[in-house]
Amino acid sequence: MMSFREKRAWGTLITLIFILLLFWLHIPPTRMLAPPPDVWVLHVLMMMIATFVTIQIIVGIVMRIRSPRDARTPKDERERLIELKSRAIAWYVFVILSLGGIFVTLHAGANEIGLGFVVLFSFVVAEIANYAMRIYYYRRGF
Amino acid sequence: MTQEDLAARVDVTRQTINAIELGKYSPSLEVAFKISRVFGKPLEAVFSWPEPGEQGDDEQRSEEKL
Repeated sequence: MMSFREKRAWGTLITLIFILLLFWLHIPPTRMLAPPPDVWVLHVLMMMIATFVTIQIIVGIVMRIRSPRDARTPKDERERLIELKSRAIAWYVFVILSLGGIFVTLHAGANEIGLGFVVLFSFVVAEIANYAMRIYYYRRGF
Repeated sequence: MTQEDLAARVDVTRQTINAIELGKYSPSLEVAFKISRVFGKPLEAVFSWPEPGEQGDDEQRSEEKL
């Protein structure tokens, strides 16, 4: 049976992928390099963040209701180590993607908003890597 | 004693006890001492570390002992 934190990791991973896909539906990748400097871009971004937070809160509440004892249990040493290892990998993903992405998009004629999207995209992909790695370590045992 | 009982007594999750049993995770000294105290046995009676070239691995040994 999955631990509480593994279930949370699954919840966050699925939500992040869902939000990323939803974002791409509103702002296609072709327009990401040089999106119009309109307010709607910011609106889409805020909507995505609000959707993510709302889904996370709902998932958190549902999981706490379903397994209240597990939810109260503090993280143990193995779970903390898994988090540290996953974050270390996610950090490299973020640095490589954001620096590489900025370099490439600058040469492709991206504007400031486009560069901002590259950094944001790198952050989201790094978080996806973070939670995917957590699940991998939880499944493997360590 | 179930994994759940042992986990509750040493303040870790059941999944961590399972990972220790399967030899996938090496616990800290603190947890190792707590586990050995629960069983009322010395540390080396519960955990062991194979010498290089010894037959079998730590995974099997931990599993057998726990």
